[in-house]
Amino acid sequence: MTFDGGVRAALGDVQLRGALRHATTLFAEKRRAAMATAPDWEGARDRARAIKDETLLHLDHYLDQFTASAERAGARMHWAQDAGEACEIIGRIAEQRGARTIVKSKSMATEEIHLNAALARRGIEPIETDLGEYIIQLAGETPSHIVAPAIHKTKGQIAALFAEKLGIEPSDDAAALTAAARQALRRRFAEADLGISGVNFAVAETGTILILENEGNARLTTSVPRTHIALMGIEKVIPRFADLEVFLQLLPRSGTGQVLTAYQSLLTGVKQRPDDEGPEELHIVLLDNGRSRMLAAPVTRQALACIRCGACLNACPVYRQIGGHAYGSVYAGPIGAVLTPQLIGIERSAHLPYASSLCGACRDVCPVKIDIPALLLHLRAQVIEQRAGKSRLLERLAFRCYAAVMARPRLYEWTMRVARILRIVPPLPAWTKWRDLRPLAPRSFREEWRRDTV
Amino acid sequence: MTTSARDQTLQSIRENLAASRPLDEMTHALRSAPPLASPGPRPQAPDLTTRFTTQLDAVGAQWTLVRGEVEAARALRRILSDAGARRVAGSDAPLVARLLPERLTRLTRDELFTCDAGVTTAQWGIAETGTLVLESARERSRLASLVPPMHVALLSTSYICASLADALARVDVASHAITLITGPSRTSDIELTLVVGVHGPQVVHILLLEEEAQ
Repeated sequence: MTFDGGVRAALGDVQLRGALRHATTLFAEKRRAAMATAPDWEGARDRARAIKDETLLHLDHYLDQFTASAERAGARMHWAQDAGEACEIIGRIAEQRGARTIVKSKSMATEEIHLNAALARRGIEPIETDLGEYIIQLAGETPSHIVAPAIHKTKGQIAALFAEKLGIEPSDDAAALTAAARQALRRRFAEADLGISGVNFAVAETGTILILENEGNARLTTSVPRTHIALMGIEKVIPRFADLEVFLQLLPRSGTGQVLTAYQSLLTGVKQRPDDEGPEELHIVLLDNGRSRMLAAPVTRQALACIRCGACLNACPVYRQIGGHAYGSVYAGPIGAVLTPQLIGIERSAHLPYASSLCGACRDVCPVKIDIPALLLHLRAQVIEQRAGKSRLLERLAFRCYAAVMARPRLYEWTMRVARILRIVPPLPAWTKWRDLRPLAPRSFREEWRRDTV
Repeated sequence: MTTSARDQTLQSIRENLAASRPLDEMTHALRSAPPLASPGPRPQAPDLTTRFTTQLDAVGAQWTLVRGEVEAARALRRILSDAGARRVAGSDAPLVARLLPERLTRLTRDELFTCDAGVTTAQWGIAETGTLVLESARERSRLASLVPPMHVALLSTSYICASLADALARVDVASHAITLITGPSRTSDIELTLVVGVHGPQVVHILLLEEEAQ
């Protein structure tokens, strides 16, 4: 579906817009309340950004250090330059271990590489265990929000889905629906032999990976099966163990409006004693997939500071109306609009830098102060540069005329007078498709001013 | 293949960072400044236990404060029997063994999934957030804190840290798994309605042990 088509469908979907309004408003309120409990919110934001900048400017060094520390603790490291390589590495491990039941906890990186589809081609189907992801998987859809993947679905839709797929009595009770999913998934956890997770932060100093969650499914995924595979973007690394503190202040508060999520798992390699709990093998897959390219300029590099909290989605007036799916990309919302063109190429996502009003709400809520509007403008400039031929010439001509008129007050007045008399409305189809162009007032402000009527 | 993928990724990182250098002049000042150290442990505030239990209430965890192991053993039995827990998985930590010798240990995965409650130790508490910290080096049975519908954690009040930063500075990083637990398992994935007890326990009860006066 085209972006315009997706937007039109979303805007016409009353249920979707109701669900979005409810969810984004509640998230924003909870975020504000949680922010107030932080001892020094602005200081934490600055510190977190400085840590990310420091890491990104020396990313090769910190990745080397992380790799060495994690290997020392018993983890096996894998490097993937693109989505295909990452899927190949994970698929091969799953096949070699003869994995029959694979449980998976929420990970946007696995969505980015379309891991489930790649594993399905090998005849392996991982089971999503985060409740939201499980709902989405049953429905055959994709997540529409970084933090709350099933944000677009109403309770009624989920009840109907569970009735059909799990054979339970339809219920409009969220607790009953959750219990049904718990029951279905516990059996899978009990038999799982491979767990796949994402990573929120990776500590170079100690080789530790940190996973945040609320449900307990990530804890189960990373501790019950014999083998654990963790997929992480190369930008997830931070230098020191103590640095985790500031990110643990920022991420839950920004993401779900919690002071802390229910669980944090800090995993460093594998167990040392056979009678201990935990997987025998930990594989960490480091994914580039376009990230290293983003280091080439400060304006693009800052997007790698993102900690995937989703606050910019909840704050964005565009996302709040159309939801995640209309963007047509794995990462939705403002951060998706700046990440996607850099990850998959601007020619395949030229619409995304324009899916914004540039109001700056995303920048204001971002816990690591990413200047998303600046990045959107940078990407828009790239789109224009790539656009060749007539439309570009016409646009240039139009702006030249505009500049000439605006720079000369008398010419401006004369032009406006003619336009007013002849009732000329400039042909702006792209503008007027979605908006009304108001007719010119009978008299200009300057005329009113001169007549002393203002 | 992975070796070359590693070399090529690192190569790409170095090339792109080098390309960015002329554009980075504005951030050079930042770069030459000493790296921002995260603040260390904050000074210990008095009455950490009260602050901790206030936060436990806020995050929906239950707690009982006891003095000495005899009282603790009695309280533990009462908590479990009030919850109707018959099959109780327990960790092999010495404190759990002393308080509840008849607990089930060395369970298979299937056995653990049928337990009514799990009893473990916690190595640290965090007053600012109402959080328990379990270190694999000293608590091997972390699944007992996760799989059964009820988790009872034993924590000595002398190991309550003021803040998260304080706890991170004190945890044993040699543990291959450190688990932070704040309240019961929860989800809001259905219309952002809070439901407690999705994959983890619905009830988390902290048994706080004060040392007996000598």
